[in-house]
Amino acid sequence: MTIAVLIIVAVVSVFCVRLVDIQIVQADSLNATSLASRSDSTVTLGTRGDIVDANGVVLATSILRYAIEADPSAVAEFDRPAADGSGDVKVSADQAIGELASVMGLDPAVITAIVTADPTSRYAQISKSVDVSTYNAIRALDIPWLYYKADQSRTYPDGSVAGNLVGFVGADGTALAGTELTQNACLAGSDGSEVTETGEDGVAIPGSTVTLKKAVDGGKVQLTINSDLQYFAQEALAQRVTEVGAESGTVVVTEAKTGKILTAAEYPTVDPNNIDATDPAYRGAKVFSDPFEPGSTFKSITAASLIDAGAATPASQVLAPYEYKSGDAVIHDSFYHPDMRWTLTGVIEQSSNTGISMLSNNMSVDQRWDYMNKFHLGKPTEVGFVGEDSGDILPGGVSGPTQLDDQTIYNTTFGQGLTVTAVQMASAYQAIANNGVRMPVQLFEGCRHDDGTVTDAPAPSTGEQVISPQAAQDTVHMMESVATTGYAADALKIPGYRVSAKTGTAEMSNGSGAYGGAYLTSMAGMAPSDDPQYVVSVTIRKPVTITSGLAAAPVFQKVLSQVLKTYRVQPSTVPAPNLPTTY
Amino acid sequence: MTNLATVPVSRLGSPASAPAIEPRRRWLKPAPDSMPRQRRRPRIVYAAVAIGGIAIIALAQLLLTIGLSDGAYQVSAQQSKLKDLLRTNQALSEQLTALSSPQNLVQNAQTLGMVANGNTVYLRLSDGAVLGSPTPASAANAPIAADQALVPNSLLQPDPVVAAPVPDVSSAPPTAAPDPSVPWQGALPSPQTH
Repeated sequence: MTIAVLIIVAVVSVFCVRLVDIQIVQADSLNATSLASRSDSTVTLGTRGDIVDANGVVLATSILRYAIEADPSAVAEFDRPAADGSGDVKVSADQAIGELASVMGLDPAVITAIVTADPTSRYAQISKSVDVSTYNAIRALDIPWLYYKADQSRTYPDGSVAGNLVGFVGADGTALAGTELTQNACLAGSDGSEVTETGEDGVAIPGSTVTLKKAVDGGKVQLTINSDLQYFAQEALAQRVTEVGAESGTVVVTEAKTGKILTAAEYPTVDPNNIDATDPAYRGAKVFSDPFEPGSTFKSITAASLIDAGAATPASQVLAPYEYKSGDAVIHDSFYHPDMRWTLTGVIEQSSNTGISMLSNNMSVDQRWDYMNKFHLGKPTEVGFVGEDSGDILPGGVSGPTQLDDQTIYNTTFGQGLTVTAVQMASAYQAIANNGVRMPVQLFEGCRHDDGTVTDAPAPSTGEQVISPQAAQDTVHMMESVATTGYAADALKIPGYRVSAKTGTAEMSNGSGAYGGAYLTSMAGMAPSDDPQYVVSVTIRKPVTITSGLAAAPVFQKVLSQVLKTYRVQPSTVPAPNLPTTY
Repeated sequence: MTNLATVPVSRLGSPASAPAIEPRRRWLKPAPDSMPRQRRRPRIVYAAVAIGGIAIIALAQLLLTIGLSDGAYQVSAQQSKLKDLLRTNQALSEQLTALSSPQNLVQNAQTLGMVANGNTVYLRLSDGAVLGSPTPASAANAPIAADQALVPNSLLQPDPVVAAPVPDVSSAPPTAAPDPSVPWQGALPSPQTH
């Protein structure tokens, strides 16, 4: 009797100890194990923001791509529900691979090789990224040994239209170039995570979802670019570049009143969807990153500075020889001529190097450099584009312009011996077109977030008066003579509009301090001349069949016509002043 | 003796017979024996209500759980449907944006035989003046040559989406070329836009 009681007491004590052990001592770890076995942690994707043009046309957007992965150890025959619902049909491994290959457009042997490389492995990647329709088709095959992983990817619907500005991201989603990189802080989203308890069949238990971290979508970056205009400029430029056998070219269009870049085209341009197809040298935005000696298009800036400083007027007279010697400097014109009685207007129209050099003697060297600084040359623009170059208005190691040799001092009056970027050049012309007020260069409208707020929008600016309105208007009128009577006049005419332009044929440095016989031809100007609204600047590098400003002129004319048409600019009503070019 | 005689009497509850030990009785008061007699037998209805209530609660709980888990399956099914639809939406949007790219529009317009007129002509509404000389569009003076596509877009198929129209030469009788000049009639309209 007492033995039986003792046994019962012993058994009950054992149970009690075990109960306390499970319910109290091990409770936490057992609960955690239990929760872990039924809870499912998922990463919620924070979408990278879009890049859109001025009209909201999407230039870059995020899409989902799917990685197709296999479990090679499980590759075997399986049952698939028959299409007519009459039980299951057996599908052999080879048959499944064949179906998969035909959906993915691959050779079945390739997939067989992947899944048989290590039959004991639990993981093999068949494809890193397939699009949604392929993914849906693969899922419809119902192959049990396949796994899918969704991942964000980028697509650029307009291809290489503005590809130089939009930039691209790497295969892992890292921003590598262009706006993608410059505005990465705005565009990047951050992934969130949440935990859900699920039942045996993977269905979520209601009310069990806990958001550990909220996913935040990236903002939308709006550019000032008009994508249709950008396309037109790229195509027109590309056709001309190939036609004249040139190496490359750029077209920049800015709005005169605001300083907004409407088009920054270049050829060749990267197609961000297919980066490898483009030479690495042309994967960036050369309009910002590649300074060049502008050549004669710079004469307008010199002339504008002279007029503003009171050192010249459009009627200032100069007896321009073919060759002009001063100190150690020897200046030639690009074509032979006897001594010509040109006004400053005539010097611009004929693009005389000797004429502009002689007239520049009316102004101190320091003063001329002050104007270059006021035109914002030699420093990066306000855009702050990735890889943006500042250009050089003074060679390295030279502290002031007076230290320069005579030749360089004169060369800079007609745009040799200093470098500018295509955007800087367009910006300087913008100041001349806008009554002497230089507006900050603008490419980004700002970063628009999901809640509608806009951040990083450039502060409103009234601009900076670089030269007087009169000096600016005089310069525009002088440049008009290039389009009415200059050598490229026929190629520049736009019926109904008064056009101001300046040709340029710069000798290109061969990289070792000398000029190497290659040319950079350019054309920059604005229209309509009675109230300039738009500035167009074209450069074509190393043309072969035509080496004068005529190489760039047709592109200038086509792009400017398209700009005037696109923005419905009213034709000119006041006739051109036809300033005298000779005396 | 007297003491001995009175104690049992007081225990029997005769209050009048023991005035002498009044103070002790206060805290030795027996429990009133009328209480057990007043307790009624519990009615069956209360038990039924209690058990029924528990049963109803249990049943409600069960139904709620069934409803909830049924809802969970519905939510799960709808969520996967939503995912599918979002995927389809994304695939179609991708196609749409690629098809609305300027390269595709230009290529298809050119396949249909359309030519951009490079010779821009303006009509000035204030005085009806024609600025420029109107000429029909031709492939030769198009601002962008049709045969060169130098702005690649690798998202597009190499072939245009539309088929080139085949001119029906058999049925249509040859017609005289229309007069390209359009005579102006009536007053000049003034633009309505700002």
